[in-house]
Amino acid sequence: MDELTRTMSAAASGMAAQSARLRLSSENIANVDTPGYHRKLVSFEETMRDDSRAVATGPLQLDRTPLDRIHDPNHPLAGVDGYYDGSNVNLMVEIADAREANRSYEANLRMFEQARQMAGSLIDLLRR
Amino acid sequence: MDHNLTLLRLSSALAAHAASRQTVVTENIAHADTPGYKARDLPGFAETLAAGPGFAARATRPGHLEFGAPAHGAEPVETAAFGAESPNGNSVSLEDQMVRSAEIRQSHDLALGVYRKTMDILRTSIGKAR
Repeated sequence: MDELTRTMSAAASGMAAQSARLRLSSENIANVDTPGYHRKLVSFEETMRDDSRAVATGPLQLDRTPLDRIHDPNHPLAGVDGYYDGSNVNLMVEIADAREANRSYEANLRMFEQARQMAGSLIDLLRR
Repeated sequence: MDHNLTLLRLSSALAAHAASRQTVVTENIAHADTPGYKARDLPGFAETLAAGPGFAARATRPGHLEFGAPAHGAEPVETAAFGAESPNGNSVSLEDQMVRSAEIRQSHDLALGVYRKTMDILRTSIGKAR
């Protein structure tokens, strides 16, 4: 029973980490047209929580690739050459990342559900 | 009578093994995107049973130190990568882990089924109607 509680705690940490990643991905997508916006990234690392090897999100990082130079002389931020700095968000990458986060989140949820059912059937032994 | 009690012990050991293994598989899935993480799994129940109870020192006085492996105890070992590793050195494959968790579910259900049946037989033998 104790093992199953640890299982649920590990699965919950996985879900928290994946939803943090999904949130950053949505923020990036929302800011795809914000001039000067750098894409936000987070990496995952191992921690010990409640005696199980849980996952936690590391520090927030900014994508260092150069910003897109967009030619639009009518834009208020455009320089004398008619270019301004856009964001370095690539929609295709963000959507793929969001899809992957979603898939991993569901896998964690499936494991949580299974641990819960296993604990439930253990308790069912006490019936009758 | 003794036979039945062995069955009970065996089935509860199988249920405990399934629960420990479920923890390891869930940790793998939680780390499905952690760079450099290697997937792990417990050895099978048959091997664990054949190896016998782990060697653990018994503490009989307050001053004694406890050490050694726990009685049910198999340590998780790294499994061979299922397919290719990701570029970031992670060897967890969600598909492989899902198959493992289905196996675990089966063996847990089996253990509980045997336990319940054994209890029924014991009840019947003491003459109590089911």
